[in-house]
Amino acid sequence: MSSIQEFSGYTPTWCPGCGDWSIGVAIKSAFVQLGFNPSSVFVVFGIGCSGNMNDFLNAYAMHALHGRGIANAIGIKLANHKFPVVCVLGDGDCYGEGGNHFVHACRGNFDITVIVHDNRVYGLTTGQVSPTSEKGKKSKSTPQGIIEEPFKALEVAIVQGASFVAQGFAGDVPHLISLIKQAVEHKGFSLLNVLQPCVTFDKVNTYNYYRERVFKLKEDFPTPDKKKAIELVLRSREEERYPLGVIYKVSRPTYSEQLPQLEKKTLVERERIGNLSRLLEVFE
Amino acid sequence: MKKATAFSQNNMNDFLIKIGGEAGLGIMTTGLALGKYFARQGYEVFGYVEYPSLIRGGHNTYEVRVSTEKIHSSKWKVDFLICLNRETFEKHKGRLAKGAVVFYDPEEFEVKENFAKVEVPVKNFLKEGGDSILFSNSIYLGAVIGYLGGDLEDVKKLLVDFFEKKGKEVVEKNFEYAKRGFKVGSSKFEILNSKQILNPKSEILNKSGGKLVMTGNEGFSLSAVAADCRFYAAYPMTPSSSVLSTLAAWQKDTGMIVRHAEDEIGVINEALGASFAGVRSAVGTSGGGFALMVETLSYAGVAEIPIVVLLAQRPGPATGMPTWTEQGDLLFAINAGHGEFMKIVLAPGDIEEMLELVPEAFNLADIYQTPVIVISDKFLSESFISVEKTKVEKILDSIEIDRGKLITADQVKDKYLRYKVTEDGISPRLLPGEPGYFYQANSYEHLEDSHTTEEAAPRVEQVNKRNRKIETYLQNHFRLPKVYGDLKKAKYVVVGWGSTKGPALDALEKLDNFAYVHFTHIWPLDREKVKKLLEPAKDKLVLLENNSFGQFGSIIEGLGFSFVKKILKYDGRPFYAEEIVESLKSLL
Repeated sequence: MSSIQEFSGYTPTWCPGCGDWSIGVAIKSAFVQLGFNPSSVFVVFGIGCSGNMNDFLNAYAMHALHGRGIANAIGIKLANHKFPVVCVLGDGDCYGEGGNHFVHACRGNFDITVIVHDNRVYGLTTGQVSPTSEKGKKSKSTPQGIIEEPFKALEVAIVQGASFVAQGFAGDVPHLISLIKQAVEHKGFSLLNVLQPCVTFDKVNTYNYYRERVFKLKEDFPTPDKKKAIELVLRSREEERYPLGVIYKVSRPTYSEQLPQLEKKTLVERERIGNLSRLLEVFE
Repeated sequence: MKKATAFSQNNMNDFLIKIGGEAGLGIMTTGLALGKYFARQGYEVFGYVEYPSLIRGGHNTYEVRVSTEKIHSSKWKVDFLICLNRETFEKHKGRLAKGAVVFYDPEEFEVKENFAKVEVPVKNFLKEGGDSILFSNSIYLGAVIGYLGGDLEDVKKLLVDFFEKKGKEVVEKNFEYAKRGFKVGSSKFEILNSKQILNPKSEILNKSGGKLVMTGNEGFSLSAVAADCRFYAAYPMTPSSSVLSTLAAWQKDTGMIVRHAEDEIGVINEALGASFAGVRSAVGTSGGGFALMVETLSYAGVAEIPIVVLLAQRPGPATGMPTWTEQGDLLFAINAGHGEFMKIVLAPGDIEEMLELVPEAFNLADIYQTPVIVISDKFLSESFISVEKTKVEKILDSIEIDRGKLITADQVKDKYLRYKVTEDGISPRLLPGEPGYFYQANSYEHLEDSHTTEEAAPRVEQVNKRNRKIETYLQNHFRLPKVYGDLKKAKYVVVGWGSTKGPALDALEKLDNFAYVHFTHIWPLDREKVKKLLEPAKDKLVLLENNSFGQFGSIIEGLGFSFVKKILKYDGRPFYAEEIVESLKSLL
């Protein structure tokens, strides 16, 4: 069995108290508990404070371009589907810059896990609003308050075809570890949105703010019922409360499972094809 | 009969059939069918298609040149014009050769001019059969082949090949109509001088042992498979789309994964992910899609991940003229991507170069762990040409896979460093998944061990390392242009690249003492070697490019040369040999 030490790279440079610390520990712990080692898991990091985990977490990794991590992860998974593929992204990266990849990856039900550090702010660029910032939030880029509604990632994922949608909280590491494990073990596209305070640039959505408003899902969840899942999320939003746990889960064939090319071997393992004469026939 | 006499004046060793009609009436199918018909008889063929960016309405044409000799492009004068509508006649009558024959339905429109005519009662046939105008192309296909003394059984075989997938009934019906057309055509044939007519299954066929008819995009697809490309992603964009459909159709046989992703950014990032994981990967697009991919090219450059990009150009800027041709993206391709990194640009000029350069592109991408762009254009990507089957087989058989410094775990000494500083600039690449190791493909500047860095010294070390790959490439893989003719003796020397090769070579045959220099390895360019090569011709260089800036010309000018003339064309149409000849003759 591996250890947390094996997964630990450089000492993180995150701000003291930043939720990234707990998410980082939770990911490493989950990997250890899942029996992974740094050579047996592929991780794609986005760009942002969360993506800086690239140097703090040991694994075969792509430190992607901002917004593009999910697309890289899909390519990795299709080339070598036997390895677990986990994306570590931020809310700006995944829902903003990479929004198109996100909504379409849900559709494909690619067997990848997307862990989003949702801190409702652009931390690395010093505090502008993010797609998940609440309406009216004032920031350097929105001095009069943001006009847009926040991006509803959980609902979008459920509607778009993700087969596993969960929410965690950086203030509850044991629960987060369990969610990460479930997300990685789930066959299909898993979204784990992690509520995470930015202690430097957000004085509203603090640990206390979340502690007063989060609640753990009861026995009725996860549900395979889209309507029920979305109702829960919508109702929680209206009440300014945040469900924690696996909200929606359904068993659906993954993208790789529907490719006859991958029935026997992974793409990277298979032999080079020899005879091309069949292909030449169409040109005769 | 007058018409027949007129026809017999033409050179039946080299003629052009042009068919035109409303988009959606099967002009594309008929053009390819004609090409295949004559290639199967042993002739050389070249097919060039024009169509607007819409599905129905608008004007589609296909011109198919047929010759007993090797040809490299179309020709200007039309010998047989098949008019599915009046527009075809009006638009193209100016190109009719002396003695040309016009095929048309007198019920559709009248031809008052004094051309030889074959009147095909298409509307009448369709009325009798109670069928739609969608069958008119088969009637004309039969008519022209009948007129040329062709064989009805061969027409049937052709229709089976084209329509088998749609069911027996569709084949039968098309054949019935082709037969009626054939009768009309062959009734005219009987009165022709048979010596002038096609010699079916001629000696040339026996000599060549069979021909294939292939477009540039099909050539790309075929050679990508042969080069062991296992992942191809694209977002449909003319004129690259047929690579996506061709490779997708072959998936069952090839085992390749072919992804139609959500946008071009997703496309190239998926391909890059697959390449990182160890499989040869490629993407295909045109200028606009390529523009979206450019940031990721830069990632491939710094993270040193192999990737092959097919850039099939069309006229820009922006949406431009989507279904037409231009060589307007060369400098963009060379300069694509922010920051400084090595990138290789290869430009095939014809089908054979496509078949050879694509596998080379995959090898170079692996060897130098960097993006390689194969630059084509609509003219090369969508035009078809006949090529000897044995030649294609020979090229495919000779493909050797060179994955460069790809190593396995047992070859790792001490610590594995993904971005190890080496003399040739290339670091050994261990595929992810090897037990006992890990590393990142880092989009940030990084240390040898792949961790992020912002320190000055390792930054410079890594930049220098990556840049050294350029020198290594120039020493080992750069290839000088191909020279046709004698640079010293030639009156003028034409410099070109890419798809202008075909018309240039055809033009050269009509000229006395001209030479042509054809570049395929466009970037990086070995400045000294090229300078030395062009030096003897420095006072007589002529630039030939399908763009308005003379983009490749500016690179040559950067070497200290100047051109006595620039032959540039940017109306969306390819060059014709005749106009190159005319332009060059004006220098004399």
